[in-house]
Amino acid sequence: MIELDAKTLAMLEELRSLGRTYIRPMGLEADRTATPPPVDHEFYLICTRQGGLVSRMIGADEGPTALDWKPVRNFLIGEECAYWDRGVALSLPGPGLGGPALRNTGTPEQRQRFLSIFEDHSKARWGAMAMTEPEAGSDVARIKTRARKQGDEWVLNGQKMFCSNSARADWVVVWATIDPDLGRGGHRAYVVERGTPGFEIIKVEHKMGSRGYETASFVLEDCHIPADNLLGGEAFYEAKKGFKASMATFNMTRPLHTAHGVGMGRAAHDLALDFVRHEYPAQGRRRQRALERLARIRRGLHTARLMYLNAVWLAKSGQSNAMEASFAKMYSPPVILEAVAAALDILGEAGVRNDKMLEKLYRDVKILDIGEGTQQVQRHVIARQMLKFPSD
Amino acid sequence: MRDFALSPELEELRAAAERLGHAQLAPNVRIAEAAGVWPKAVLDVLDGFPLGGLDLAESLGGVDAGVLAKVVILETLAQFDPSGLPGADRPGASAGALLACPDHQLAAEVAQSCLNGLAQSAFTVIDPEIPSTQLDWAPGWPALRWVWAMQADTLRLLEVTGSVQPVIALAFQASGGVRVSLDQTTERGHWELSARTALEVRGRARLWGAAIGVGIAQAALQETIEYTLDRVVFGKPVAHHQGNAFDLAYVAARIHAARLVVRDAAASFDRGEPDAGFWATQAWLEVREAAFHATNVGIQLLGGHGFIVDHLAEKRFREARHLAMAAGGLDAAEFDVAAAVLDVPDALLASLEQR
Repeated sequence: MIELDAKTLAMLEELRSLGRTYIRPMGLEADRTATPPPVDHEFYLICTRQGGLVSRMIGADEGPTALDWKPVRNFLIGEECAYWDRGVALSLPGPGLGGPALRNTGTPEQRQRFLSIFEDHSKARWGAMAMTEPEAGSDVARIKTRARKQGDEWVLNGQKMFCSNSARADWVVVWATIDPDLGRGGHRAYVVERGTPGFEIIKVEHKMGSRGYETASFVLEDCHIPADNLLGGEAFYEAKKGFKASMATFNMTRPLHTAHGVGMGRAAHDLALDFVRHEYPAQGRRRQRALERLARIRRGLHTARLMYLNAVWLAKSGQSNAMEASFAKMYSPPVILEAVAAALDILGEAGVRNDKMLEKLYRDVKILDIGEGTQQVQRHVIARQMLKFPSD
Repeated sequence: MRDFALSPELEELRAAAERLGHAQLAPNVRIAEAAGVWPKAVLDVLDGFPLGGLDLAESLGGVDAGVLAKVVILETLAQFDPSGLPGADRPGASAGALLACPDHQLAAEVAQSCLNGLAQSAFTVIDPEIPSTQLDWAPGWPALRWVWAMQADTLRLLEVTGSVQPVIALAFQASGGVRVSLDQTTERGHWELSARTALEVRGRARLWGAAIGVGIAQAALQETIEYTLDRVVFGKPVAHHQGNAFDLAYVAARIHAARLVVRDAAASFDRGEPDAGFWATQAWLEVREAAFHATNVGIQLLGGHGFIVDHLAEKRFREARHLAMAAGGLDAAEFDVAAAVLDVPDALLASLEQR
């Protein structure tokens, strides 16, 4: 039994209502038009306003603990948001993937400077994080974006791709290298603010699914940023924490990916269940097979949820969760894909129609097995830790 | 000993289809998807082939080249672009129904209208436990005229007399998807078939989809190999990492197996064997899994590139699943093989036991 505090329950209840009214319709519209919701969408302002969903998710209305992170609550909210539409969930205003990077790596001054903008409730704001490059996806150690120190500034040059919300973000945490020959030891994270000369969005990708949020590519051409925008400051990297810091970010975002997957799997389950209730006979072999499929879907979702909660619990308890985060990320996407496929089988030929929602979910879920490290990367991470490869 | 080689004539036909695919299908994949139809020049060539009449008897206006020829050509074309195939092959999955229809004159009328390019025919399996009142997806907007509907062992021919609605679906956009309410149709006849003939009809429809599925899987594997040999991660090509190499090897083996069972079932139809419908259904089940596996691994190993429309991996992933829902989907196929499995002898050992 998972016990939820009253505040979390209230937020989930509120979210359910918002999901029905806004999130799912927005996701369907974004899918139909292949365009994410506009930045001035009414829903984003509702979430952003004082006491709104986003401000409470980052704890901005909780007095002296302002900007404290509420991980378990946020993961459950992530699951519920994804139930209604994961793409729109990822497009919610807030620091996004840049948030964990700032919390894990940023100095107190940087956290205040870049996160406090979300306390401005008059406007929806976004943050983002950029790691992937055209030639460096799973192998993030190969990033080529260069950072050079020049006086009191850093100068960035390179290209990033598959960066969520970067085209609408106030700032982007950009991972770069001061010297490719240093490998992981050369990695640094910088906050690049919107409008900085040399920072230019070049493409918003057209995707198979998950169209509720934008996935963009951008270039950095002689992009000058203040020295203070080096995340964590020089001392942080002298302690050789650079690459580990980027990986630590994944230790929280990978379980969040799983939470999203559970939400999407639940959506598929509920659509199929609704179909069984209304279209299937009260008994018979088809009904029996459908119920067996639903039971299997529920088993997978329950297990995946426990895995992400365990990974979050470890992190919250101050324990290492790298392995458990990868366990969750490796286990859940195939289970969620199988859940949606099983739901499609329950609908039969009707499942392929795009007005049945399940068709969209089938296109949406595949990204779960790619983003935040593919299935193959998770196997690599787990095997390396478990077997203590000689190269380590 | 079974001969796995294609005849010289069929090999020549396959090579012609391959040339057409290279020259006219592959360069226009996304254009055709947006247009909702293959280029007219392609359709003209295929009508002259004739793709639709390849596996139809001469009495129906076909050229009676056989089911094996049909599946080989479907597989070949699907490697380049399967999206417009259901629309281009107007009798398509209905070939078995046309052949089994006891009213030969009516069947010939339907076949001729399809082969002349005037009409499209669709095939669907209706579960007696969940009697659907509409056909959720069929190819051929706006020309859908005939719907062959099988409910248990009853075959019905419905003529579309009301309006049909264009519908966007998971895949096969270049075939112009339509939806039709069955109360917008007029029944032209219904026939009670023997259980074996009914399974043959369903099996032919499934085999038609299975052949396309093999082509999709093969194309997915090919693109994945090319990409993963080129892209370097952790110091070597993606494909050279043992875990990925094992995945690719497994995909290749499954496609090989799928192709064998599809061609075997097709040959079984051509030889007039009594259990061809059973083996065709088994082949479809095999392809269903193999095509899903190949296209899923395809996206996986392309990573983020697999999820965006700049590559065809995402399209093949959708197509494999779309095919897996056809002709009643998984449940209907598994019910069919379960019902027949105790009565179908082993294809090889049965002949030994009879000696």
